[in-house]
Amino acid sequence: MSGKGGSATPTTYSPSPQNQKKPKSLIFKDDVDWVRPDGRGFQHCRPAFLRTGAVSAASGSAYAEFGNTKVIVSVFGPRESKKSQMYSDIGRLNCNVSNTTFATPVRGQGSDHKEFSSVLHKALEGAIILESFPKTTVDVFALVLESGGSDLPVVISCASLALADAGIRMYDLVASVSVSCLGKNLVIDPIFEEENCRDGSLMITCMASRNEVTQLTITGEWSTPKIHEAMQLCLDACMKLRMVMRSCLKDSASSQE
Amino acid sequence: MVGLSLGEKHFIQGGIAQDLRSDARKRLTYRPIYVETGVIPQANGSAAVKMGATEVIASVKAELGKPTSLHPDKGKVAIFVDCSPTAAPAFEGRGGEELSAELSTSLQQCLLGGKSGAGAGIDLSSLSVVEGKICWDLYIDCLVVSTDGNLLDALGAAIKAALSNTGIPRVQVAAGATGDEQPEVDISDEEFLQFDTSGVPVIITLTQVGKHYIVDATAEEESQMSSAISVSVNRHGRICGMTKRGGAGLDPSVILDMISVAKFVSEQLIIKLDSEISAAEAREEE
Repeated sequence: MSGKGGSATPTTYSPSPQNQKKPKSLIFKDDVDWVRPDGRGFQHCRPAFLRTGAVSAASGSAYAEFGNTKVIVSVFGPRESKKSQMYSDIGRLNCNVSNTTFATPVRGQGSDHKEFSSVLHKALEGAIILESFPKTTVDVFALVLESGGSDLPVVISCASLALADAGIRMYDLVASVSVSCLGKNLVIDPIFEEENCRDGSLMITCMASRNEVTQLTITGEWSTPKIHEAMQLCLDACMKLRMVMRSCLKDSASSQE
Repeated sequence: MVGLSLGEKHFIQGGIAQDLRSDARKRLTYRPIYVETGVIPQANGSAAVKMGATEVIASVKAELGKPTSLHPDKGKVAIFVDCSPTAAPAFEGRGGEELSAELSTSLQQCLLGGKSGAGAGIDLSSLSVVEGKICWDLYIDCLVVSTDGNLLDALGAAIKAALSNTGIPRVQVAAGATGDEQPEVDISDEEFLQFDTSGVPVIITLTQVGKHYIVDATAEEESQMSSAISVSVNRHGRICGMTKRGGAGLDPSVILDMISVAKFVSEQLIIKLDSEISAAEAREEE
């Protein structure tokens, strides 16, 4: 290693103690004016970085980065269905979501989210025109590279972008946003620390231009006016996210010419 | 279930549009519910629920364990669903795994509340024995014996009945245990703690067929659904969980309408379930 000019002592690496874990409770729910750990407002989503064409071997692919949550999705197909499966005159969708072992601070911790695959399937099946590829299967493989909170909504949005990149016919792009309830506050697009101490969550997946909700999941205790408020918040955010996804697709299409 | 002919499909859809289903029920009427408690003597609590031809069994077993470091003053609850091949030949081996995972997750979401433990149907702090060291782990195992639609509602009812039948043994902690030592515990043979299930929510699944919603769909009606929503409502009318169960997209105003219909139906269902559970326990005591 090249040392700094003129320095006699060799440069050695020692992990600096300041990089150790930050204090655990950054979140004080009962404190009226607590600020979110990353300084966002309660109703601000993280800035989204989206790129298509991340995997050249796949029919379509996309990479998404929302703060610390990084996801890559590949779409293969439409390809011939397995011979063991019955004849079907509409297409089939096969989804798989997996975490890398280094996605969470503790190795291998995130691998117990087996239901993400079925939630992704339900979110996408309402948007894809399955009649356009009978007898065949479209495979969607999502890999969470880093889990920084709000993983599933990012996976769904990224998967819909990858399907569009693959040229699969859809009714509309699917955008997904989740809201966490911390005490009396509704916090949109929560990060990992906020998700761990939440009282409830609401995740919406919708096709914004058709005003149709394809997936909705609520946990925790909610009163009906709170559900109204959270749904309205999420639907607005989904509409803006869809605009971002659309401009990403337009950019990649124009750069190919 | 054999496939339906086009005529049968139209019959089901047309009947629902006219508020008259194939078994003469109205759209928002449940099938007769039959509850039996104490069916598994070796478990701490158990119940079998029959809704028409759908039959499920739920059993609760309590074991001593260590609480998590995030919540040292709370016990743990785990819910598992197993779809037995007696219900459908497709469930043999790994066939029923996807459905079991989906049902387990939906039940956990509906009954266990948010990550911080708020809004849980079961009071987890009553399961703590020695804070930070010993707590009760509840394992709720459900078995689907026969399926004719509306599994989630039946499972929710069975869990509610099993929990009200559950008795946790009394535990005596040896005094004088200090620091990091594991305290000695003496589990008595007489059952002591009966669960307070007034906070446990019920699950209502609303299936949309055409332009109308029905409650408690049979397998035939479920095959005609465009989409379905399962809402979990507790005694006080608060929503404790909700999942959309696949299918076509729904307008947000339709979803909010379905939530209010679910709340309306839940009032009658809770009353019906409570009376069935107390009747079952009275029968068991004889």
